[in-house]
Amino acid sequence: MTETQQGAPANDDGTAAAVPSGGAPLPGDQDVSTLRRVINTVGVDNLSLLFALLAIVAVVVWLQPLFLSWQNLMNSLSQSIVIVGLLAIGQTVVIVAGMLDISVGSIASVASVTAASAIVLGGITLPGGFELPLPFVQGSMQAGILVGILTGMGLGLINGLVVTKLNVNPIIATLGTLAAFAGLAFLVAPDGKPVGVVTQPAFTWLATGRLFPELAIPELAGGRPWTGIPILFLIFVLVAVIYHIIMKYTDFGRTVYAIGGNAVAARLAGINLTRNKIAMYMLCGATAGLAGVLLTARTTSGNPINGVGFELQAITAVFLGGAATTGGKGTIVGTVLAVLLVGVLNNGMNLLGVGTFYQRVALGVLLIAAVALAQWRQARAERARTRAAAAG
Amino acid sequence: MTLTATPEVPAAEPNGGSGVLEIRNVSKAFPNVQALDDVSLDVRPGEVLAFLGENGAGKSTLLKILSGDYQPDQGTLSIDGEGLRFSNPREARAAGIRVIYQEPEIIPGVDVAENIFAGELPRRGPFLDRGELNRRVDAELAEYGFEQALPRHRMGGELSSAQRQLVEIMRAVKSKMRILALDEPTSSLTEEEVDQLFTLVRRLRAEGVAIIYVSHRLHEIMRIADRVAILRDGRLVIVEQAAKMTEDDVVRNMVGRELGEVFDRHRAGTDRVVLEAQDIRSDVHHGVSFDIRAGEIVGFAGLIGAGRSELAKVIFGEMPMTGGKVLIEGSQVRIGQPSDAIKEGIGFAPEDRKREGLVLIRSVLENATLAIIGRLTRFRIVQRGREREIGRQYVERLNVRTPSLDQMVGKLSGGNQQKVVLARWLAAKPKVLILDEPTRGIDVGAKAEIYRLIDALANEGLAIMLISSELPEVLGMSDRIIVMQGGRITGELPGPGTTEEQVLELAMHEHLQASRAAAEAAARGGEDE
Repeated sequence: MTETQQGAPANDDGTAAAVPSGGAPLPGDQDVSTLRRVINTVGVDNLSLLFALLAIVAVVVWLQPLFLSWQNLMNSLSQSIVIVGLLAIGQTVVIVAGMLDISVGSIASVASVTAASAIVLGGITLPGGFELPLPFVQGSMQAGILVGILTGMGLGLINGLVVTKLNVNPIIATLGTLAAFAGLAFLVAPDGKPVGVVTQPAFTWLATGRLFPELAIPELAGGRPWTGIPILFLIFVLVAVIYHIIMKYTDFGRTVYAIGGNAVAARLAGINLTRNKIAMYMLCGATAGLAGVLLTARTTSGNPINGVGFELQAITAVFLGGAATTGGKGTIVGTVLAVLLVGVLNNGMNLLGVGTFYQRVALGVLLIAAVALAQWRQARAERARTRAAAAG
Repeated sequence: MTLTATPEVPAAEPNGGSGVLEIRNVSKAFPNVQALDDVSLDVRPGEVLAFLGENGAGKSTLLKILSGDYQPDQGTLSIDGEGLRFSNPREARAAGIRVIYQEPEIIPGVDVAENIFAGELPRRGPFLDRGELNRRVDAELAEYGFEQALPRHRMGGELSSAQRQLVEIMRAVKSKMRILALDEPTSSLTEEEVDQLFTLVRRLRAEGVAIIYVSHRLHEIMRIADRVAILRDGRLVIVEQAAKMTEDDVVRNMVGRELGEVFDRHRAGTDRVVLEAQDIRSDVHHGVSFDIRAGEIVGFAGLIGAGRSELAKVIFGEMPMTGGKVLIEGSQVRIGQPSDAIKEGIGFAPEDRKREGLVLIRSVLENATLAIIGRLTRFRIVQRGREREIGRQYVERLNVRTPSLDQMVGKLSGGNQQKVVLARWLAAKPKVLILDEPTRGIDVGAKAEIYRLIDALANEGLAIMLISSELPEVLGMSDRIIVMQGGRITGELPGPGTTEEQVLELAMHEHLQASRAAAEAAARGGEDE
């Protein structure tokens, strides 16, 4: 009758034993196989993404062998992913921190116009008709890029201030600035018209330039032969590497993951939320600004509608790349893989003659599917953990 | 099993009368804690039964079993021999049991009348019958004398805590209710409102409702309760007629426990003051002054709501300070946010480690080095070798049981999670360490380990502010004890030799004074029979 009383303490001991036996030095830190190291670099979560990418490539190649031609790989594919890729890389920083930036497309539009104005006209028109003369910039590729990036960072600063100082929810804040910056792009364009034509060869080289065009690489799967690696694609790779280093190897990167994982705990560990969140929006704005510059180089015109609609693809790629809607999860590697996946999917649909309207539907479905899949995996992992805890 | 079980309750006389709620052999365990252990008790119609106990004694768990929020692991509830098993609060309500918590659910956007009748609004066709609703609400309020206290047209969002509770009580009284449980109903009420509430309680008692009354305020319990049930560590210690007990008896029964061998404090304090707080004021503090010396553990005791955790947050820059000074090693410091506090050498392990202490989805290593990561960089790149070395050093020193430094912190047990929080602050090498409920939800073995660690840290010269609601912990670990109540310090006691009664006396200081005042008022006015 009183078995309950004797049973209770035994139960207590049982729960205490749920912890892996320890006290001994931590095992398994040094002796890691090469394969393991490769997997760790890609990230375990990214492996499935890699396999998905390979599977889609296989299907597309099977249906349309021309996919593997140098012409397709180096022109259509590698160039089509650059803009979305840059926006997605910056977006990853903000999403991992548990926030969102919907305004990146509009930021790219504004930067496209300011960069073009600086290079072609040697000055930027400000809203209200004021002119900001920048004569030393005129005709300089490097200065043009810098103007674009600084424009993006400036607009990112505004996003950051709205989110932190005015305490506006990031989705609402950047939805607002998406509209406001879209208007701003027209206000900074003289007479509201595109700035063109940007013909400085040093600048258009950004879009048309090729690295190693003279290499004698045999043609692959037909089409035109090797013409070199597009400069555009190299810029994307370079930015991806820089942001990967920032996110993975700097104290700032740690801050991003900590804030996204638990903002209160991060603050109580001495992290300044305001300053860091503003910096994150500026980093996101910087890639959007650079994307705007490249859009100008590609279209040879600083058009205020250059960036319209890119934000959806960028955000899709980040979530497909394994970022969590609640923050604290996601990597640049994952985002890049997801950008490639979306790029191959779009490119494949183009090659197979699928209409643009279907492509849009596919992109929307992909965004929802990516998040649904992530939720499902998380729920499964949690259930497994609960079961393990119950068994222990 | 339950059929043959004779209740071990001293005052539970065989009662053939109808409507007695029989609680028999109820047990409930949570991970690492036995919240209720074989509790048997009768709740009789037409009486007020008070539940008393320290924080964590099991009062809330018992209420939640009655309300259907929790299901007992063992034991039964029955009324008139009819077994009751609630899988949710709605079933408990249908059986006539209502539990009213401190913060009832109020719909902010609608008025008092609609809040009281929420879910059963009178209708005419598809529309709300406003006239009928107002008539019924006016009648209910008039019957219990709350027309003044609870204006019918006031919106839910504008109600005071007292009014919110009245709404919840009105919801309850208009339903057929056999048992009414009130959880700390007076904690936010004025004296006048308490009197109104008591009038209502007496009236319901006279109507034959069984009333369970949970409170920390002894004098109120002595005024209103017919019987008193005291819980301690999940067990029922005593059930007695209220008239037969003094307040001293109650306090002794609430505490009455021996300190185990887990506390092993070797005092090695110095005279060098490290942290000095002068007249600290904030939204909840009204002039708090104290100091902590190097090598000293100062325990902060008090009831929930005394302002101890908030004091830690004010000092750490997490809550705004409206007045007063904080001095570290004799010089005044300005702390506007937690990062300032860390720069001044303060570390803070918060009460709720899952919500405030740890980034659960990140690794042991990242959590351990989070506060110092900026110091482990060269050209902003984290020196990973150094980071791992420091992380490993503290993880091993604190004996954190984890398969590797890269393990997700959320997968560790509570005790090991707490050690990761401590590792973070040790790595930051602070002068002052604030520990808020450092052993909450941790099993006994890990507790002893954490006590040994706190002792060792103090002896290395750290000044430690130990906030705890567990009196044995405060008594066993502290060199000095500061007792708080209502945002003020009500007394200071030496650590060694102090009894729990002395601490509780100071923690309930105001209540006891109010009790005397009330007794005098009663003697003069005679409004309480």
